[in-house]
Amino acid sequence: MGEHATGIEKWVEENLPVDIYMVNFIVLMVLTVIEVAAVFFGESMSLGMVWAILIGVGIVKGYGIAAFFMHLAGDPRSYLWSFAFPFLFVTLMLWGIGLSNPGGITGLPAWCTPFAGGYATTP
Amino acid sequence: MSDGHHAHVENQVWLRAFLFAAVLVTIGVVAYGVLSVGLATGAHHAWEDALAEANGDTHDHHVIDAHLQFLTWNVAGNTILFMMIVYASFIGLAGLMNSSKPQADHGHDDHGHHGSASPIIMAVGVMLFMMGFPSFATAAEDFLYNGGGAFGEMLLSLVGLSVVMAGVANWWGEDLPFDGHAEQLSTASDDMVPFRGQHVRKVGIWIFLMSEVMVFGSFFSSYLRMRTGWCTEWALDAGRCTGETVVTASDLLRHDIATLLPGAINTFALIISSYTIVLALKTAKAKEWTPKEGLMGKLMPSQRIAVRNYLIATLMLGSMFIVLKLIEWSHLIAEGFTLQSQQGSIFYIATGAHGLHVFLGLIVMLYMVFKADLDPEVHGTGWTTDNAQGIEYFGLYWHFVDLAWVVIFPAFYLY
Repeated sequence: MGEHATGIEKWVEENLPVDIYMVNFIVLMVLTVIEVAAVFFGESMSLGMVWAILIGVGIVKGYGIAAFFMHLAGDPRSYLWSFAFPFLFVTLMLWGIGLSNPGGITGLPAWCTPFAGGYATTP
Repeated sequence: MSDGHHAHVENQVWLRAFLFAAVLVTIGVVAYGVLSVGLATGAHHAWEDALAEANGDTHDHHVIDAHLQFLTWNVAGNTILFMMIVYASFIGLAGLMNSSKPQADHGHDDHGHHGSASPIIMAVGVMLFMMGFPSFATAAEDFLYNGGGAFGEMLLSLVGLSVVMAGVANWWGEDLPFDGHAEQLSTASDDMVPFRGQHVRKVGIWIFLMSEVMVFGSFFSSYLRMRTGWCTEWALDAGRCTGETVVTASDLLRHDIATLLPGAINTFALIISSYTIVLALKTAKAKEWTPKEGLMGKLMPSQRIAVRNYLIATLMLGSMFIVLKLIEWSHLIAEGFTLQSQQGSIFYIATGAHGLHVFLGLIVMLYMVFKADLDPEVHGTGWTTDNAQGIEYFGLYWHFVDLAWVVIFPAFYLY
């Protein structure tokens, strides 16, 4: 368990009859329902909107698991930095999609293709 | 697994592992009998009848439904039997190895580091498993689709798994007597050194998880690299491409609640299992514990049984995840979504690697349950408030597997 109670944990302890794990569990379950519903019932939504929901919900779910179930919120910061470090490489790999996929360069958002102007992307 | 102070634990304690293995095999045989022999046989007759009524048209939707129904029961029964045999083999081998080795003279060895050979043994096993993996994967696909398959092609991987089993059994034997005292700490004279004063095992599991982020990051970025290049149904609708579309797993899964259901249930199962293992840790660490009223009080009458039952719940949810995943795979393969296509290859390898992580976690979970069933006052060991950090460190791995699924599920099933 985390070594120190964080802000959210303290607030839950003081204001709710349940602990942070129960709150986190309920939030994760609700978010998963939203995630599945967004895709299943979201035929009328644009692809961008579905993506925004999936990424947004994914980030919140990931934070909930890492911060509270894995106790990163209360543990010394060195654990957080250790876990975060490889994400730098993952980010580079994801960024590399834009640099290496000829079909993807023209279709991907601008943040993913910062050097697109320097590459021959025209047929 | 641990290096510090050890309680005196008789080797005979490990004989209980045989009982555990027998229970697991019994569950597997019963499930196989009910699902694969009973229900699947009936479903097979229904499939044959539907095929006859449709004059042999395999594309008739009644025939397809009947075929998928048959696959559901058959794969469920076969998978449960296979999993229970593997579980029983691991815990049984650990029982055999650890009950038959010379009785260790523990109790006074709290003054030095004791290296373990287990990581090296397991690494060799994993290497052999991976060397044989390409043919293992092909044979496994054949097993799922045809109910048969050449086991010779699985041999190298199975030898690798056996070596891993020996390493794991040795590891468990070393950990069982650990009473939580004199846990090795990271030492350094400089305050600036990270992790100073932290448990070495905890630091170790986090470093391991760092490497796991890279493994899943590679799968994920490979998938997105390919996915952005494919002309999929969604890309076509968005006007990003023209011509023939590529069918991804999500195209086959996300439109119908029946096809999406196994993946969705699995998502909930992993989240619930993350919660149950947190409850096991919280219960094991509690200095004061009283049973609850009502049904929960009957299910969890004592602190030791509560920890054990929370771990059993985690084990069952994780096992259900594997069964549902293989049912879903068998349906996809039946629909022609196989390893032979690029989109099939990345889907099965990425979700399969995740499934393998779940399965390996379940193997360790067996030991956690085995230890939780021991009464410290009777057997000299078990989970106590002093050594409960072992549950926490395993829990970190289990939560990471959940975290990886948080990324895999939307990317491979919904997008």
